[in-house]
Amino acid sequence: MRKQGLSVSVFLVLAAVLGHGSAAAQVITDSLGRPFPRPARPPGRIVSMAPNITEILFALGLGDRVVGVTRFCDYPPEAARLPRIGGLVDPNVEIIRSLDPDLVIAFRGNPLRLVDRIRKLGLPVFVLDIGRGFEDLPALIAKIGRVTGTEARAEALAASLLDRLGAVDAALRGIAARPKVFVLLYGQGLWTSGGESYVNDLIGRAGGTNVAAALPKKWALYKRERIIRDDPEAVFILARSAADFEAGRKWLAGMPGIAAVSAVRTGRVYEIDENAASRYGPRLVDVLDRMAALLHPDRFGGEP
Amino acid sequence: MSGRPGRRVFWAACLLLCLAGFLVSLLSGPVRTTPGDLVRFIKSPDPVRAAIFLDLRLSRAVLAFLVGAALALSGAILQGYFRNPMADPFVVGVSSGASLGAVVATALGFEAAAFGFSGPGLLAFVSGLGIVSLVYGLSMRRGGLKVETILLTGIAAGALASALTSFLLFMRSDSYDQAVFWLLGSFQLAEWGQAATIAPWVALCLVASVWLARDMDLLALGDETAQALGSPVRRVRKAFLAMSALLAALSVAVSGIIGFVGLVVPHWVRILIGPAHRPLFAASALAGGTFLLYCDLLARNILPAELPIGVITAAVGAPFFLYLLYKKR
Repeated sequence: MRKQGLSVSVFLVLAAVLGHGSAAAQVITDSLGRPFPRPARPPGRIVSMAPNITEILFALGLGDRVVGVTRFCDYPPEAARLPRIGGLVDPNVEIIRSLDPDLVIAFRGNPLRLVDRIRKLGLPVFVLDIGRGFEDLPALIAKIGRVTGTEARAEALAASLLDRLGAVDAALRGIAARPKVFVLLYGQGLWTSGGESYVNDLIGRAGGTNVAAALPKKWALYKRERIIRDDPEAVFILARSAADFEAGRKWLAGMPGIAAVSAVRTGRVYEIDENAASRYGPRLVDVLDRMAALLHPDRFGGEP
Repeated sequence: MSGRPGRRVFWAACLLLCLAGFLVSLLSGPVRTTPGDLVRFIKSPDPVRAAIFLDLRLSRAVLAFLVGAALALSGAILQGYFRNPMADPFVVGVSSGASLGAVVATALGFEAAAFGFSGPGLLAFVSGLGIVSLVYGLSMRRGGLKVETILLTGIAAGALASALTSFLLFMRSDSYDQAVFWLLGSFQLAEWGQAATIAPWVALCLVASVWLARDMDLLALGDETAQALGSPVRRVRKAFLAMSALLAALSVAVSGIIGFVGLVVPHWVRILIGPAHRPLFAASALAGGTFLLYCDLLARNILPAELPIGVITAAVGAPFFLYLLYKKR
């Protein structure tokens, strides 16, 4: 009797799990763990609430379906011509509603209270997060592919990114040393990328070692003395323009004690396109290519 | 007191300003809309305009009006209660208690929403009322209830709650943006559910306070005199304190802490129509609602990004307050 009851309950649990499994094919969960009903038709009016999402949407060939972007969305250039919904922390709910979207893609940096307010207006909001490393990017692209009904294109895009990643890995196989790298986010002080940032991951994949990897943060203020102690062999300056890079290089080299650091002495201070590196999107692989070629020029056929 | 005609002018002006405020609120916002759009919408509604006009703009205007009315009424009650013109809705610790609740909720990621309140709003409401009850209980112990004791206990409990709030903010700096929203107030998240939740309570408190206004007038003569004149002083005091705390806690729960309205509006009204509490309560509610309606209009339209409304209430309220004081002297 008891045994029978047990097997019945096992059956019920199984049935529940299986039933859930088939429902899960229709429901996608966003990065808040909230279920998102898979749209019956591919969305035709998409609002993007972050630059990297805009970039991925365009990379998936959905540019003509994007009807609103943030004021920071400037890549690809045609994205900058779309209606603006405000910024990352100050998106405007009224403007978003007025665009009459059938899909709003938000990210975790948008204030949750505003994301919820948009949802309460009856708009479907899908919330995504940026990953800690490059390996999360294909999954992010796949999720966007699923909510926009472009799974095949998303798969192809992810595959091409993984191919290029594999090519870098192959080129770097058996490198003798992993140069120490200091990343400078030029702007206000010695901001660098800590161990939780995907930039840290990119440096590792490019065959380098981030000197600030031990900092348990995404972005962190670094100390001048620590740079001198770390003695990085290369410095990457994330700059918005060549002029910015030049200004950043002079600013850094002009700091007392920094001129003696290996990277500055040997002139291995390089510009990294901040616009590409600050967006968790497909262009990260361009950044990776450049970082790898700068750190290991011998493996990429030539001088940097 | 300027007598009846002055009062009538005051009421007419207030009502007119209030209606105009609602109309302007409906028409202004980041999405350009003309009066023609509004008329066209009324003739043939469509979902996008319905969301913008009704769900976003009108609900927000109604909520701002209700909160303004609640805060001003609460302030008018407490100024009478303490016979002190410096009293405001937050003097008994409601604001500090409520902000502590909101910040705790954000730090813990408490999101359960109920009755149109968000998680932090709900906890703000509960802890705001909680701290008032605590203050009241502590003041009761010492042989009956002394008004000064409530005031001082309220200040002390408020300071303690503020210290805890600052500590939490220091420990969880990532919830800072959310905290600013509570500490300086905003109607950015206004929705009909919130308005529907607080409207009956605001209306009830308004009716009850107008009904009990004569007793409040008597309290001005001192508790003993009021008692001798037949006013049930203890019960009246309890009712007024409860109402003022409820109004303040409801306001904080939907819009965060909005300063200055509860302090300043009753003063304006008193200067304009005199100190009798019956008209004072009703007029404070109307004037407070209207004032906050215009403040919110400024908060959401001055800059591309929204300003916290507390900035506006103080910036607009203080100079006007000074002007009235100066003129009166």
